[in-house]
Amino acid sequence: MKKYNTPLIDQLEKGPWPSFVTEMKKAGKTNEMANDAVGHLEKCYTTKMGYWKHGGIVGVLGYGGGVIGRYSEIGDEFPGVAHFHTVRLNQPSGFFYTSKALREICDIWDKYGSGLTNVHGSTGDLVLLGTKTDALEAIFAEYSSRGWDLGSSGSALRTPSCCVGPGRCEWTMYDTLGLNYALTQEFQDEMHRPTFSYKFKIKSSGCACDCVASIARADMSIIGTWKGDIQIDQNEVKNYASKMNINAEIINMCPTQCMSYDGKELKINNAECSRCMHCIAKMTKALKPGKERGATICIGSKAPIVVGSLLSWVIVPFIKIEEPYTEVKELIRKIWDWWDENAKPRERIGEVIEMKGMRSFLEAIGVPPMPQQIKEPRKDPFMFYTEDDIASYKAKEAEEKKTGKYKF
Amino acid sequence: MALPQRKTDIGPPHFEQFLPPVIKKNYGKWKYHEVLSHNTMVHVAESGDKLWTVRVASPRILSTDTIREHCDIAEKYCGGYLRYTTRNNAEFLVSDEKQLEPLKKDLASRGFKMGGIGYGITNVVHTQGWVHCHSAATDASGLVKAMMDELFEYFESKSLPNKVRLAVACCVNMCGAVHCSDIAVVAVHTKVPTVKHDLFKNMCELPTVIGSCPTRAISPDPANKSVKINPDKCMYCGNCFTVCPPISIKDPERDGVAIVVGGKINSLRSNPKFSKLVIPYISNEPPRWPKVVAAIKHIVEVYAANARKHERMGEWIERIGWERFFSLTGIDFTFQSIDDFTFMRDTMRTASTFKW
Amino acid sequence: METAELQDKIFAFVEAAKGKKKLKEKDIIKGVSAEQNVPGDDVKKAMRAMIDVGRLMYSYGGGASSVEIPSEEYLREKGLIK
Repeated sequence: MKKYNTPLIDQLEKGPWPSFVTEMKKAGKTNEMANDAVGHLEKCYTTKMGYWKHGGIVGVLGYGGGVIGRYSEIGDEFPGVAHFHTVRLNQPSGFFYTSKALREICDIWDKYGSGLTNVHGSTGDLVLLGTKTDALEAIFAEYSSRGWDLGSSGSALRTPSCCVGPGRCEWTMYDTLGLNYALTQEFQDEMHRPTFSYKFKIKSSGCACDCVASIARADMSIIGTWKGDIQIDQNEVKNYASKMNINAEIINMCPTQCMSYDGKELKINNAECSRCMHCIAKMTKALKPGKERGATICIGSKAPIVVGSLLSWVIVPFIKIEEPYTEVKELIRKIWDWWDENAKPRERIGEVIEMKGMRSFLEAIGVPPMPQQIKEPRKDPFMFYTEDDIASYKAKEAEEKKTGKYKF
Repeated sequence: MALPQRKTDIGPPHFEQFLPPVIKKNYGKWKYHEVLSHNTMVHVAESGDKLWTVRVASPRILSTDTIREHCDIAEKYCGGYLRYTTRNNAEFLVSDEKQLEPLKKDLASRGFKMGGIGYGITNVVHTQGWVHCHSAATDASGLVKAMMDELFEYFESKSLPNKVRLAVACCVNMCGAVHCSDIAVVAVHTKVPTVKHDLFKNMCELPTVIGSCPTRAISPDPANKSVKINPDKCMYCGNCFTVCPPISIKDPERDGVAIVVGGKINSLRSNPKFSKLVIPYISNEPPRWPKVVAAIKHIVEVYAANARKHERMGEWIERIGWERFFSLTGIDFTFQSIDDFTFMRDTMRTASTFKW
Repeated sequence: METAELQDKIFAFVEAAKGKKKLKEKDIIKGVSAEQNVPGDDVKKAMRAMIDVGRLMYSYGGGASSVEIPSEEYLREKGLIK
């Protein structure tokens, strides 16, 4: 095996933080592809440039995603990375594994690929970095016969992911792991056979802490919330009072100012609480969310390409998330139908909603307008009226004339 | 050797088979948790069962050797169970307190770094960079390594007013949620792309390329059967390169990074926010990007010295005002920090109530 | 319409666009469905069977997925031709 001189990236093996260069070199000891990846990276550091070409047409028979084609422009110099495709393995909900499962994944990967991985990639998949085109069918046969399917890529439903949820969190308002698994299974076709205009991401977070960042990077963000009163254990509040300044750290930091503490009793005006989670997160033994639990569904977030970043918008303020999740699944299909009808190539759903208007979208999915959906009403007087809108406003006025009572 | 029979559309394995017994038993019945140190927390179930978590740093790029070492540890102390986090850390879970100290001792002796829990700095969300991406303007893994070496004390032991979430994106495509981080580094191009006209007509669709441009800088070039790019309108986003490989935007001496701050994901106290641009350009300086690292450390230190307990970076800046952020940090305010793309209306000041 | 006949129509539709336009799966379903007056679901099913055996294939380029006629290289790699 060729020994590369790598003075630049060697400097990234120093220091306390674990080194990816060390990982690459470890794999490169026995693996030609990983070894060339080390040399290839040193070259990038020398010239301050990347050498990867655009993804190409690679994949397994019948699927339109799950493998990202990757070729080097300088494959002659580094033959081990001339083909260096990525394989996405669909991770289990919550990133839980047994050592047995991981060892099996590693054994197969050492046999067919570079021995390098990302645990995990940004979307959530377990990413296997670097293999050749002629190994892809064998890789798929080995993994799928042992229960591991590919994740997604391209213009498709991307591999859904979720927070740790009921696996290890007292704040989760629904079974994020269960929902994530159910949605992944329900929409296998939409994941593996790209039929959309562009990517669509679904991320499920159990509460407003949003540990999978769904509000910022999922076309559909499913964020746990509740109705009803926060449950208070006043004895535990007393214990916290001996460790923290409840007025400074909790009461004064409450964004709705709906709490008070007089040194004896913590009171919450629950009707005014916006369920931000600050008090619950800081006094986890004393406070618990209310008992009627579900999720808020938000739509549209994405990174800056093309016309600026978006955070997801509240669409459905509250929905129950319970097996077999029929309501959520039906909602997702309705959302896709509207998107499909209206999107130009490479338009994310948030961009299409901006173009076509929120009304068109909400009407198509059967959701009424609600003040919970907005930060503030429109500021301009340019608005659409349908004939039906005017007819209904007129009918209301006629009714008022009869009753002698205004209804605004 | 014959290959096993492939199966399609099976989806991932059901997660339940990977849950340790203590989690299966207490699934959805957790009562509270306590952060015991920067590397350990304990979750207590309604049943009284306890689950200790030890968090371990990972460079995200892992060799199979290291994954197997994780497995060895999980087998020795955790019944063979382990998990990873959204921010790429490894977590070892034990239900028997007696296993906790031996586990940590073993991890330390193998050189694994524990930390990242609570009010400090945990692992950095980042993209592929030069290691594996075609559109990278820098190397994400190298930047992360250099940053975390410098900020390591905040991972291992030192506390901040709240957590500081860091991210690195190696181009403006920003895979991962870097645009809502307390501090994020985003690699930028700074020059108008060039077009290889001879390759254009075989590899690119004209309407797609024109439509890919957010600033309408691209127009047809009929003489060359290609396109031309208006340098007065181009903001170097590289989206045209994404849809059309013969358009080239890489430039080693001009590509660099920008720094954005003050974003957050959660809704605690204040709503999720985007990160905002404060440093428009620093040259790429591999292998350790010293100026980028110094800038981030400086911003963290100014935040640590000035923010109130529980205030995230963005909340602190909103309380004191952006003009104060620039004066406290001594960062030069530049034209690039004034939005001239899509958010100008929302971001210009419309009152005379600012600070000197 | 018999599946085999519908598949020929789908193939012809994709072939006609070759080198001119990258077709998304949806473009083909909508186009063939209108052209042949058959339900979109039938087109989808017929096309999926073609992709499963390598008569058509998914492709990716320019940041989006499309459906194309496979190259010889692809067919050889999949062991579908010698």
